[in-house]
Amino acid sequence: MLLEIISELLKLTIFAGLALAGILAILIWKKNLTTKVTYLRTFVQVVAMIAFFYIFSYTTWLLLILVVIFAISIVLGRFFCGWLCPFGLYLDLVAVIRKTLNTRYWSLPEKLNRSLHILRYLLLVFFIVLPFMLGPIEAWQWSLAKFLMGPFKPISVLLGPVEPLIIPWESPLKLYGLSFSYPYASIITFYSGENFALINTFIFMALTLASSFVVRRFWCRFCPTGASLAIVNRFRVFKWIPFLRLSKVEEKCTKCGICKRVCPVQVTDVYEQKGGDITTSMCMLCLRCVEMCPYEDCLKLSMAGKTLFKSRNWLEPSKIT
Amino acid sequence: MNETSEKKYSLEIFPKEIEELKNTIKTASTKIMEEYIERMRKTWPDRPEEMQYFDEIAKFWGTREKEIVEAREEGKKVIGYTCMFAPIELILAAGAIPVRVSSGLYDPVKLGNRVVPVEVCPVVRSTIGVKMVGLSPYLELSDALITSLTCDGMTKLSEILSDYKPVWTLCPPRLKDSEQSISFWKEELKAVKEKIEKLTGTKITSSKLKSAIERLHRATRAFRRLQDLRKGNPVIMGRDAMLVNQTLMWDDVERWTQKTEKLCDELERRAQGKVWACPLKTPRVMIAGTPIIWPDNWKLPNLVEEANPQGVIVADELCSGDRFLYDPVGVDEWTMEDMFNAVADRYLLPSTCPCFTSEDGNEDRVNWIKARVEERRVDGVVYHVYRGCMLYAMEYMRIKKVLDKINVPVYYLDTDYTREDVGQIKTRVEAFLEMLKSRVEF
Repeated sequence: MLLEIISELLKLTIFAGLALAGILAILIWKKNLTTKVTYLRTFVQVVAMIAFFYIFSYTTWLLLILVVIFAISIVLGRFFCGWLCPFGLYLDLVAVIRKTLNTRYWSLPEKLNRSLHILRYLLLVFFIVLPFMLGPIEAWQWSLAKFLMGPFKPISVLLGPVEPLIIPWESPLKLYGLSFSYPYASIITFYSGENFALINTFIFMALTLASSFVVRRFWCRFCPTGASLAIVNRFRVFKWIPFLRLSKVEEKCTKCGICKRVCPVQVTDVYEQKGGDITTSMCMLCLRCVEMCPYEDCLKLSMAGKTLFKSRNWLEPSKIT
Repeated sequence: MNETSEKKYSLEIFPKEIEELKNTIKTASTKIMEEYIERMRKTWPDRPEEMQYFDEIAKFWGTREKEIVEAREEGKKVIGYTCMFAPIELILAAGAIPVRVSSGLYDPVKLGNRVVPVEVCPVVRSTIGVKMVGLSPYLELSDALITSLTCDGMTKLSEILSDYKPVWTLCPPRLKDSEQSISFWKEELKAVKEKIEKLTGTKITSSKLKSAIERLHRATRAFRRLQDLRKGNPVIMGRDAMLVNQTLMWDDVERWTQKTEKLCDELERRAQGKVWACPLKTPRVMIAGTPIIWPDNWKLPNLVEEANPQGVIVADELCSGDRFLYDPVGVDEWTMEDMFNAVADRYLLPSTCPCFTSEDGNEDRVNWIKARVEERRVDGVVYHVYRGCMLYAMEYMRIKKVLDKINVPVYYLDTDYTREDVGQIKTRVEAFLEMLKSRVEF
């Protein structure tokens, strides 16, 4: 027993150590300042994907993950969407393929983008309220099947994007003895029935991948899991919570429009707002704008008043100060 | 271009008169350039050796002219531009040589007066005069001109120049922050891009544009490195830094980058060794307003840095100076479209030219000046305006109010392309510097 715990702990330590070593390696190796954070972010996403695969093997943790995701959203904004979500990683990889094919993305009209963002909250309310309306809540059985297959269980729907590509349980798509899956696949399977499960999953897959091939991170623009509770940003009472904040210095900004153009989810507030706090619930904190801003100290990411990362003259080789 | 077509503006002058005028002005200007360089050396006795290269390039009718002539013989095209709105990336990508042709020579102004009234901005009048007698090597050698319709003077200048050369106009919208402006601007640039491709006969492919953008990134890096060196205690006199900035208008971009990096290395060594270009208590001055163009226009920088008490120019807000290459092109994905959008954005959006307006009253310019004042620890601002430069003159009150609020004195200096007012301006500049000095020492 003791040996098992020790070995588990050892595994975790090795995993964490490898992840940290990878982050450090990217920080040292990647010299180009305009892609450094992007590389780092992709690495963290891969690590998170592996971590989610392991977590999914332990059923009882699932609710906890959801709680953690929403807690993160309250405290850090949509940091989860930008840095941890596996579905986000797949969509980013689609964008990488698009880049290598030298095709240009489309930008959504600003109004449509904003209404999609509002749709996110409507979906969230829908998924939370609907199970209560469908009938009496049965005795919650903390088993895997119930978790992922209950009709409109908010947990299964909201955890949809986190679903690993290879799952430890049965799925309609089996190859070489492995069960393959895709975000939201188990929910689709549940509703489609046995005959159409595979087709519907493929249709969903094609739609999400194709849409994000054309529009960057299309799914993320209305995904209900990414609902960061903007309410806490509204009230002064909660200001003490060490939120992760993006801020802008008005004088340093020349309004060159780079931040607006590089944002994968087309947040315009960073460009449009004059200065001060520019954190929004639409922003998923991927830090692409901060990375690409060519003016020193103009954009800043800070946590509890401490600057974590700020824009710098990316033409300059990084200096140790 | 079309010899047969009717000249809309230009006057008939006898070839002999042209030759005579050209020679007199050329001799006088050559002398002045040499004198100004000599004066720069005198003010800063241990001027680094690396500056010699820029002195050489700064001389009109010198090595750079020969190089361009040779390049033209090899089939390269030269494209001149009057404003910094011209997309240099596109010109470089097509393999052409970009040169800026706005004139800073005083004497041709009198010739320009024959065509346009004296109330017109002297930069315009001088450029017309220079063209009338074929004085500026860069204007003469360019195969086509890109002019921007920013102010009234520039708008009509492009009409007048079209008597001599093919002129491609770029019309920047007066409002920057709207979708329709940006799409209009992109269309304008697209049209110019096609014209460049037609003239040079090379298609601007994405790999060519990428390499051009990267070349200018390196140049911007060197440029910003030099400007950053002016942040701390003065390691370089303002005039010298301004000269380096100006030479980029004609020079080969890559060679300029190399030389500037070298100069910066030397300056960094000096900063480490605490060798300053002038005493530390020297008032730090910033020049804002109408562009100052080498050579004759060195009047104001000369006065500031040679005055008693001496001042040092640590920053300027001129489209021929600090602003020229300050903003890099930020490309997200290296596709043709995104690169093109990035280039278009870079020329329009961060520009602080007073030809723009917004609800907040050209706020970008105010912010630019405020940021520079803070970053370079500016003690006082000289607001430099030519008579006839309406846009800059009219914005003075706006800038003054902002600077008053942050307690930075401003001095409004209006002048013309003339040497007659040097004595008078000298007294005023010295009084201003005296006041700054007492503030610094206090």
